[in-house]
Amino acid sequence: MSRIRDNALSIAFMALFLVCLAGQALAGMLDYNEQQLVGGGQPVGYLDYITSSNFAVNVAENWQSEYLQFLLFILFTIWMVQRGSPESKEPGEEGAESDEKQQIGRYAEADSPAWARVKGLRLWLYSNSLGLTMGAIFVLSWLAQSVAGVASYNAERLGDLRDPVSWSSYVTSPDFWNRSLQNWQSELLAVLSMVVLSIYLRQRGSPESKPVGAAHTATGVEG
Amino acid sequence: MRLILGVLALALATGCAIDTAGPARAAERFSAAIAARQSEAACALLARKTAEKLPDSGQTCAEALRELNLGDPGGITEVNVWGDTALVRLAGDTLFLQRYTDGWRGKAAACEPVPDLPYDCEVEN
Repeated sequence: MSRIRDNALSIAFMALFLVCLAGQALAGMLDYNEQQLVGGGQPVGYLDYITSSNFAVNVAENWQSEYLQFLLFILFTIWMVQRGSPESKEPGEEGAESDEKQQIGRYAEADSPAWARVKGLRLWLYSNSLGLTMGAIFVLSWLAQSVAGVASYNAERLGDLRDPVSWSSYVTSPDFWNRSLQNWQSELLAVLSMVVLSIYLRQRGSPESKPVGAAHTATGVEG
Repeated sequence: MRLILGVLALALATGCAIDTAGPARAAERFSAAIAARQSEAACALLARKTAEKLPDSGQTCAEALRELNLGDPGGITEVNVWGDTALVRLAGDTLFLQRYTDGWRGKAAACEPVPDLPYDCEVEN
């Protein structure tokens, strides 16, 4: 029971993710089948739909933008601050910080991760592992979006009696960039809102907010 | 990470696992029927919506197809398959096909390319 409680946040988000993904697949299939009937095609079943390029591109285009959002947030907050935001470090603390503050090398604690105690490539990799992983997932998702996207786009083009395009033409096409940028702009707006609104607004009990009574000028303080 | 790789593999599979034999066979049969002036057989290879749209009022599909007096489409030079749709180029024609549960059927035929626009097809739905 305490294991569930200790991991409640991850479990809740995983459950919501799976429900939403299944819902997206169902709604996507119904929408796809409507288009199929209009175009003189044939409706597909749930299994056929979730293995289709149409579903894959719709999933991947959202995934890549979410991972890009977190990647940028992780990297920008190393070197840029926002006075008053709990999402930011204090002004003056910009940069990768000292070994002592980062508890690495000889400043590592007894319970520090093993790679925080070593030097060289392993320390560098571990020191950047969050950004590297988010970045890798972003790149792979965006690549998946482009591959599934060209398949879905070409199926649509053939349905409209037009020639298919190559992958290299697709990644410079309005369809690819419309899908990418419409997701990016919304993610960036969400981060901007979080950074700025959390200066002045509070959510009691949430570590994403400053304590209710904290000053608007207090930076890097989490409730 | 495994989920992402799964999606990538899925995308690659859906984008690249191409079965060109089905549409090629359907195009060959359609081409042979047109070349042999077997309009009934050619109509039977069309998608239902295309076969219904082709004739004018009071005409059958075969009569309408005969009236078009299409030339021999010739042999296949290229097959492009994306999902449930396919484009088959023949020496003298371009065909668009759609996959149904009973196989591939002609969606549009006797198509001429129009720059930056859909093909202009004498037979289409």
